[in-house]
Amino acid sequence: MNSFSVKQLFTFEKTPLNLLMAFITIGLLAAFAAGAVAYLIHGHHAYNVTRQHPWGLLISMYVFFVVSSTGLCIISSIGHVFGIPEFQQIGKRAIAGAIITISSGFAVIGLEIGHPMTMVIYNVLTPGLTSAIWWMGTLYGLYLAFICMEFFFLAIKENHKLSKFFGIGGLLVGLAAHSNLGAVFGFLISRPSANGVFYPVYFILSAMITGCYLVFLMYGFRYKMNFPEKVTVMLTKLSKILGMLLAVLIFFEIWKILTALYGDMPERAATILHTIKHPNFWFGEVILGMLIPFTIILLSNAKAIKATIYASITGMIGIFFMRYDLVHDTLIYPMTMLKRSEYQLPPTFLEYFPSPAEFAVGFGGIGLCLFLYYIADKVFNLDESHSH
Amino acid sequence: MARYGMALNYKNCINCRACETACKEENGVLLGRDNYRIWVGVKEAEGEFPNISIMSQVYHPSQCQHCDNAPCQQVCPTNATYYDENHVVRVNPTKCILCTYCINACPYDARYVDNRTVTVDKCNFCSDTRLANGETTTACQATCPTKVRVFGDLDDPKSEISQLLATKEYRRVKEHLGTEPKLFYIL
Ligand code: SF4
Ligand code: SF4
Ligand code: SF4
Repeated sequence: MNSFSVKQLFTFEKTPLNLLMAFITIGLLAAFAAGAVAYLIHGHHAYNVTRQHPWGLLISMYVFFVVSSTGLCIISSIGHVFGIPEFQQIGKRAIAGAIITISSGFAVIGLEIGHPMTMVIYNVLTPGLTSAIWWMGTLYGLYLAFICMEFFFLAIKENHKLSKFFGIGGLLVGLAAHSNLGAVFGFLISRPSANGVFYPVYFILSAMITGCYLVFLMYGFRYKMNFPEKVTVMLTKLSKILGMLLAVLIFFEIWKILTALYGDMPERAATILHTIKHPNFWFGEVILGMLIPFTIILLSNAKAIKATIYASITGMIGIFFMRYDLVHDTLIYPMTMLKRSEYQLPPTFLEYFPSPAEFAVGFGGIGLCLFLYYIADKVFNLDESHSH
Repeated sequence: MARYGMALNYKNCINCRACETACKEENGVLLGRDNYRIWVGVKEAEGEFPNISIMSQVYHPSQCQHCDNAPCQQVCPTNATYYDENHVVRVNPTKCILCTYCINACPYDARYVDNRTVTVDKCNFCSDTRLANGETTTACQATCPTKVRVFGDLDDPKSEISQLLATKEYRRVKEHLGTEPKLFYIL
């Protein structure tokens, strides 16, 4: 832990990049606060969710944050649990990031779930053991406890044995929690386009990809693109891992789409066809999220670290679209296709666009992350310590 | 106890919507776009004039199917959704956390958010209004001018609904999902 005072906490080098980050952070925090107030006053009426489209941007953002957290936890475990030496240095920074992103996720979901306190009580008193949400929530609670302990023994009271113990625990519980989050969608028999094994597996894969992107971004910012030799070696290896993961993801996606379209199964084929034609998918998910980073890694033989860091920005935007589409595309096909009143047209694919309050809370969560990361970076030494 | 279900002679439906109104009145369902426990789906006639298929025009009264194997119940994290002693699928507002997972999981669009309790609500076969007062019919059934609806105990072989289902051909909605819905559409 570093010694610090409140004054030190809020002094930083006034470079243009730092100032820009400070403005973005403050703006997003203000948005979060404003969105939270709107929600507290108007409840779900502040959001554009409806009976037919009951989940929206906030569920997407929750998934976005917990995917980030699980991803950072998995990537950090390469060094710290599996003992690959070059990756040991990621440990503290990545686990701090994992704690921060999941906490932001919980803050966002707290403003989406109607009765969080009731949840705390009845999750324990009358647990719904057949509910993927119950498992996901419970396991994520446990996961947070594990990674906090892991961080404690990594950064505050250094103890390699205990940090490894909690690291393994956090990794296993995190994997279980995260695949359960995939199952929240995969278990929906009412939604043929989501139902099946794809999401639980895809969630773990895309978490690992998200973890790589975030490590690139954190290191790019930490070293202002001037990397010491040791970091360059690690990032080059990470870039190779990322390239391979992206190749697997592209392969998965192709087969998911082909199986969904093949045979023109009712509901499923039409839904997938509709969604892949949307720019959210082909531009957001495919070009930004997969192809730009993949091409850079492939063409530079994983050596273009700086370019990969910029590509991690488009990558994270792509990851956002993957999370957004996950929710929207699952719900897009109406559950009843008959019209209910004379002045209505027969239902077609549902429309949804987030309300200002949803944007404020959802993207405000990113402000929480940036702010907490800034504090963590000041308070703790997130670089590798020598006694490690 | 009983196992309640409903048979619908839906071909007799004249789309008068008296049932929708009776339900709102009986159960105090609020006004508003998303607030309805029951509805009548309309499928318009197919074909171009003069070859319009009259038979293809259908009025399809619908509501919660009270599935025997209800996805909404399986996904509920706090068991707020439960089967009561009459196999009616109910929501306990004290336990509902408004995660709206059940709304996503229901294949029939039967659920919505009640703005007073701020929890999920849906048809409960008038369980805490009419049935609780000892009545044996639901509001939608009692009001229907063409006697589309027959509500009753599926476990009692002598009940009107059991007799009807024993003698008539029927179909259920999205049966392939394995939800075991308890609304029976008499053909
Ligand atoms: S129709 Fe929907 S709400 Fe009713 S029991 Fe079946 S799944 Fe649940
Ligand atoms: S919204 Fe309420 S009834 Fe529905 S799944 Fe969540 S807790 Fe259960
Ligand atoms: S009251 Fe009867 S006839 Fe009228 S809409 Fe309802 S089910 Fe149809």
